[in-house]
Amino acid sequence: MKQVALSIDDLREAVLRMPDDALMATREAALANLDEHGLPSVRDEDWKYTDLGPAIDISNRWLANGATITTTSNDLLADAIAAIAGAIDANWLIIANGVIDTSRFDESSGIEVQRFSESAAPFVMDRPLADLNAALLNDGLRVQIHAATEKPLGILIIDETNAGAAVSQANVEIEIAPGCDAEVIEYQSSTGTGDHFGNSVITLQIGQAAIASYVRIQNRRIGHVQSGRLCATPGRDARLNMASYDLGGGLVRNDVDIDLGEPGADVVFNGLYLAGDGQHIDNHTRVDHRVGPASSSQEYRGILNGRCRCVWNGKAIVHAGADGTDANQANHNLLLSEHAEIDAKPELEIYADDVKCSHGTTVGQLDETALFYLRTRGLDKRQATQLLTHAFAADLVGRAPVAAAIDEITSLVESRLADLIQEEA
Amino acid sequence: MTSENIESIVNRRYEHGFVTDIETESLPPGLDEGVVRAISARKNEPEFMLEWRLQAYRQWLEMAEPEWAHLHYPPVKFNEISYYAAPKSDADRPKSLDEVDPKLLETYDKLGIPLHERARLAGVAVDAVFDSVSVATTFKDKLSEAGVIFCSFSEAVREHPELVKKYLGSVVPRRDNFYAALNSAVFSDGSFVYIPKGVRCPMELSTYFRINAANTGQFERTLIIADEGSHVSYLEGCTAPMRDENQLHAAVVELVALEGAEIKYSTVQNWYPGDENGVGGIYNFVTKRGDCRGANSKISWTQVETGSAITWKYPSCLLRGENSVGEFYSVAVANNMQQADTGTKMIHIGANTSSTIVSKGISAGKAQNAYRGLVKVMPQAHGARNHTQCDSLLIGKECGAHTFPYMEIKNPSARIEHEATTSKISADQLFYCRQRGISEEDAVNMIVNGFCKEVFKELPMEFAVEAQALLNVSLEGAVG
Repeated sequence: MKQVALSIDDLREAVLRMPDDALMATREAALANLDEHGLPSVRDEDWKYTDLGPAIDISNRWLANGATITTTSNDLLADAIAAIAGAIDANWLIIANGVIDTSRFDESSGIEVQRFSESAAPFVMDRPLADLNAALLNDGLRVQIHAATEKPLGILIIDETNAGAAVSQANVEIEIAPGCDAEVIEYQSSTGTGDHFGNSVITLQIGQAAIASYVRIQNRRIGHVQSGRLCATPGRDARLNMASYDLGGGLVRNDVDIDLGEPGADVVFNGLYLAGDGQHIDNHTRVDHRVGPASSSQEYRGILNGRCRCVWNGKAIVHAGADGTDANQANHNLLLSEHAEIDAKPELEIYADDVKCSHGTTVGQLDETALFYLRTRGLDKRQATQLLTHAFAADLVGRAPVAAAIDEITSLVESRLADLIQEEA
Repeated sequence: MTSENIESIVNRRYEHGFVTDIETESLPPGLDEGVVRAISARKNEPEFMLEWRLQAYRQWLEMAEPEWAHLHYPPVKFNEISYYAAPKSDADRPKSLDEVDPKLLETYDKLGIPLHERARLAGVAVDAVFDSVSVATTFKDKLSEAGVIFCSFSEAVREHPELVKKYLGSVVPRRDNFYAALNSAVFSDGSFVYIPKGVRCPMELSTYFRINAANTGQFERTLIIADEGSHVSYLEGCTAPMRDENQLHAAVVELVALEGAEIKYSTVQNWYPGDENGVGGIYNFVTKRGDCRGANSKISWTQVETGSAITWKYPSCLLRGENSVGEFYSVAVANNMQQADTGTKMIHIGANTSSTIVSKGISAGKAQNAYRGLVKVMPQAHGARNHTQCDSLLIGKECGAHTFPYMEIKNPSARIEHEATTSKISADQLFYCRQRGISEEDAVNMIVNGFCKEVFKELPMEFAVEAQALLNVSLEGAVG
C-alpha cells in the first residue's frame, strides 16, 4: 500500500496566507525541508509500525479546504477547558485549536511567558513532524520558570472539530532555571465528531541542579490523531522525573527525546498506555548519553484489549566516552484480546565500556491462578479482570510526580479501564 | 597487564593465516548469465538446476543490497569477484584420503584438523569443502547403512534430483534477500543431508569450509532434511587463510524438520577477521533458516562466531508445526576492527510453539557487535512461548555493543520475555581472581568462558573444547 503524500502545494499556500510576523522565516525554512524530505513512511525504520496515512489524509483535506483556524469562542470547547481546569489545580496556559489563550494564566505566579512572535529566535525543527509543526505554527510559547511556584504550570492543548477535518499545532519551550524545582503538567485533549490531527512539539530545558517533575496526560477523543514530540535537555546534576498516560486518541505517536549532555543528570520516565478498539498508540523514546556519569531509567506498561495495536520502541545510546552511564529500560504488556498487537523494540547502542545497561520486555496475560482466586471469592470474570488490570496500572499511576494531577489521572485511568474491560472479558 | 605484554599479544599473527599453493581452475572475475551457465555446465547439472539459477540471477539483478545492518564497509564490487574456483584435481576426484593432494592435507594439519584421525577417533564423518568442490567424504558406508544421505550438493543434484527439487529454496526462497539470491544463482557446492524416517543419524556430521583461492567468493549451499521422527547433529566449522583483499562469503543453509524430527546445527566460525587495522578479512553474509514443518519438530542453532571482518547472519526458525521448538544459542566475539550484526528470528506460526534465544556478545578493541533479533507471534499461534536473553560484555573503551530486538506479538496467549544486559568485566571479579594468584589474562579468559558457558554447553563435546580455545585466542591481546 502506497502512502499518500502530503500535498506540498496546498501547504505552501497555507503558509503564505499566515501573518507576516517574526515566525515567517522559520515557517518557510520548514516548508523547504518538508518539500525536500516529505513525511516519513513505514519504510523508515523509526516508522516501521506506524503509518502516518491518517494524519496526512486529514492534513490534505484540511489544507485543500483553506486551512482555517477555528476561533476559541466555541461553547463545547469552553466547557471542556473549564472541566479540566476544575479537575487539576494548576496555572494553565491553553492552546485551543492551535491558538494561544492566556486567560486562565496567573501572571503574578513568577512564571515568565513570551510568544514566539515577539522575538525572532528560531525554534526546534529537526524532524519531519517538527517541520510540519513549524510550517503551520500560528504562534508558540516560551516559558521561563525561575523559582518554585505554588501551583504547577499547566499546558493544556485542546482541540475541537465538529465537521470535516482540522489540523492544529502547538509548540512550547520551557526553561527551568538552575537550582529550581518545577512541576509541569501537559494535558492533551480533544472533542468533536470531525477528524482531527494535533501535532505538538515541547522542549524542556532543565538548568543545572534543577528538578523537573513532568506529567503528560493524553486523553483525546478515540479516533483523533495526535503526534507529540518532547525534547528534554537536563543540565549538570539536573533531575527529570516524568510520567505519561495515554488513554485516548486513535492514531497516537509520542516521541520522547532526552539528551544528556552534562554529567550528573538523573532521568526517570515512565509511561502507561491503555488501548482499546480502533487505537494505535506508538511510544518512541530515545536517550542520548553523551557524558557520564548519568543515569536514565524508563518503564512503560501497556494494557491492550479489543482491536488495537501498540508500539513501544525504547532506544538508549551511550556515546563514546560516556563512562559511568546507567541506563535501564523496561516494557511490560498485557494482551487481553485476540485482535490486539504489541510491537516492542528495546534498543541499546553502546560505545563506551564503563556502563551498566539493561532492558527487559515482557508480553503476557493475566495470571490464571490470580483470576481463579478472585473468582472463588465471588467476583465475576469482568470484575476479576478489572481488579487485576487495575493493579497492573496502579503502580504507574502512583508514580505520577506531580501531586496536583494524581486524582485526575486516577479517575481517568479507572474509567478508561472500566470501558476497556467491558469490551471483552 | 603490562603494556608490553598487551603489545606482544596484540601483534600475534592470525594462527590459521597461510595460503596453500594449489593450482585452481577459476572463472574470470565478473558476473553475468554466461557465468551462471558456465558454473552449471561445469558441474554437469540437469536443466532444472540451470533454470533455477538463471531465475535467481535475474531476480538478484532487481534487488538492492541491504543497508539496514549496523555495519560500515566499502561497497562490495560484485564484478571483481571470481564466482567459481575448483581444485585442479576436479576431473579425477580422490576416492579416499590417501589420494588427496598432500598439500591439502597439510593445510588441514596446520589447522589442527587431522582429517582421518579425527574422523576415526571422534566418529565424525567429514565432508571437507576446499574452496568450492567437496574433495573428501568419509564414513559414507556407515551412513549409507543407516540410509542417511550425506554428500556434496553437486552430487545430490545428480543422484537425488527429486529431493533437491522438492526442498531446495523451500525454506529460503531465491529472492528472500539480496545475498540469498546471489547464492542461488552462483552457489558452487556445499553439503546435502537427508535423514530417513525414524533414523537417528549414527554419528555427528561435519563439514569444514575453507576459503582458499584469492578473490574467490565462496557460495555454499547446504540443505538438510530430517524426515519424520529422525535426528541429526550437524557441525560446521571454518577457518580461512590470510588475505589482503576482502573475500565475499554468501552461504545459504536450509533445514527442514518434518514431524517429530530434530536437527541440531552447530557452527564454529573463524574466518580471517582482517589485520589489526581491519585490512583483509572475510565478508560473511549468510542466510540460515530452519523450517519446523512438522508437529513436535525441533531445530536448534548453536554458533560460536569469532572470525570475519563483517558478519551478517541471522539463523532463524519458522515454527510451523504444533509444539515445535526453536533454539538459538550464540557467542559472537568481535575484536580489533571486526563488525558483527547477528541474531535470530523466531517466527511462531503453529500452536504451542516455543523458542529460546541465548545470545552472548563480546566486543573488544575497536569492534562493533550487534544483536538483532525478531520474535514474531502470528495470530493463530496460540500458547507461544519465548524467552530471550542477550548479554553483552565490553572489553576496552573503543568498542561498541548494540541490541536491536524486535518483538511483534499478535496473539494474547503468548508469553514473551526478553532481557538484556550490557556490562564490562568488573574490577571486583578480576581482583578476586588476581589475589588468588591467577594471571590477569587467565582471569579474563575464565570470566569470559563463564559468561559464555550457557552457549558452550549446547555444543557437541569436541566442538565445545575447540570453541573454548578459539575464544581465548580471539580475545588475547584485547585485555588490558
